[in-house]
Amino acid sequence: MSKSRSSSLSAHAAALSSKSTANQSKFFKTLGEDIWKNKIEKINAELFVMTYGVIVQQLCQDLNNDYIKINENLFSMGYNIGVRLIEDFLARTALPRCPNMTMTSEVISKVAFKIFLNITPQIENWNTNRDSFSIILTENPLTEFVELPQDAMKQLWYSNIICGVLKGALEMVQLDCDVNFMTDVLRGDLTTEIKIKLNKILKDEIPLGED
Amino acid sequence: MPHQRNSSIQNPEALERQRQYELFQESLPKVNALVYQMLLNEIIPLSSHVENQLQTIPMEEFSEDQTESQLKDLSLEEKQVSNPSSSDQLIYKLSQLADEDENEFNNTLKRVRDIGIKLGTRLTNLLVFTNNVNLNFKEMDLLLIMKFICRDVWKQIFGKQIDNLKTNHRGTFYLIDYDYALIQDFCIETNTIPSQLNEEVITSKELKLVEPFLELPVGIIKGVLLSLGYPLEEVICLATFIDKPREKIRNGFPKGISFHVQITKPNQQQ
Repeated sequence: MSKSRSSSLSAHAAALSSKSTANQSKFFKTLGEDIWKNKIEKINAELFVMTYGVIVQQLCQDLNNDYIKINENLFSMGYNIGVRLIEDFLARTALPRCPNMTMTSEVISKVAFKIFLNITPQIENWNTNRDSFSIILTENPLTEFVELPQDAMKQLWYSNIICGVLKGALEMVQLDCDVNFMTDVLRGDLTTEIKIKLNKILKDEIPLGED
Repeated sequence: MPHQRNSSIQNPEALERQRQYELFQESLPKVNALVYQMLLNEIIPLSSHVENQLQTIPMEEFSEDQTESQLKDLSLEEKQVSNPSSSDQLIYKLSQLADEDENEFNNTLKRVRDIGIKLGTRLTNLLVFTNNVNLNFKEMDLLLIMKFICRDVWKQIFGKQIDNLKTNHRGTFYLIDYDYALIQDFCIETNTIPSQLNEEVITSKELKLVEPFLELPVGIIKGVLLSLGYPLEEVICLATFIDKPREKIRNGFPKGISFHVQITKPNQQQ
């Protein structure tokens, strides 16, 4: 047990120090797939879609179709999940701190999305500073079989919970980011795009209430 | 568990169908079970948050000034940055409400229960169409429905079956789950409790905090019964804490849960 762990750690170190991004990328891909295949308890995606659908439906009902409020609620729901989920992520992957956003983006798409939702979205649209990029969700397990009514198509970000999760999780690793949906196929757009923009790197702090 | 019920299937053809069904289930797209659990648990602070919003802002003000409310939303999010445990705080606040504002507390619980009911109803539909050879909805009496909840419904959502089902055969059932999945990792934040309190008080505080989380499975049970012909008003379902058997006491949450289900108007036609 301890042996396999130390060997996997040295593999980590080798891949992470490697200069070639192609190497890194491949390493993250196998890491994500390996964890998903061997270490994750799974449930039917259909049940997941259905449950999320029920939650959004109830929100629409309770908040009288005020989609701005609904977006906000979905976001904060995700945020609360994200700040907890990151612990599980770090424990499972044993990945060290990413030195730059390029690597962060690779870890998000190839490891995080893989082990939690079993998808590997594309990373695109880097800006010149390389602190902002887009995640293109070619498949989205939250929206299988989902169709929005006409009025919701204009304002509702149905999968906004994902932005919240990303925001919360990134913040826990000291990355203060803006995370927003740009487009969503549910609204009739051609792609589903989430934009992540790094605002600043937070200082290491002792969490509130832990003196 | 399907394996246990194999004993009731004698002929090889049925066994083959059972195997096909299991293979099919395995081939379906999957997601991480932990994420699903977190999603379910987040329903409770969400409902409490929604209730807060509805209490503080009367409905008419909603549409008045959309841009302004948008601005407010932005500033709200910024506040959250310095406040990462907000869903915990919502839960603590909710348990305080139980004593202070019963109305708001009950509204929140109702919201959670409503989500559970919707979930239960849809889950029946999902399970009806799975082609599970062991399920036959045509000749289901109340006892079989309860068994269906204990085995199939619980297994789907919580990854385990109910531990024990008791009945008096007159419409009263006790569904006992010694390790109800969603609360196993819970623990109370010690810094919120004054240090002079003794263990008994702490435990009762802890149980009070967990209570709202039990409304979700209560809703699910009522939802499944609703979809199989038992209207909500004819079903009473209550969750209570019970002691665990000694061999289970060391793991997870210190109490088991008993769901007491009573059908007030037994369906005479059946």
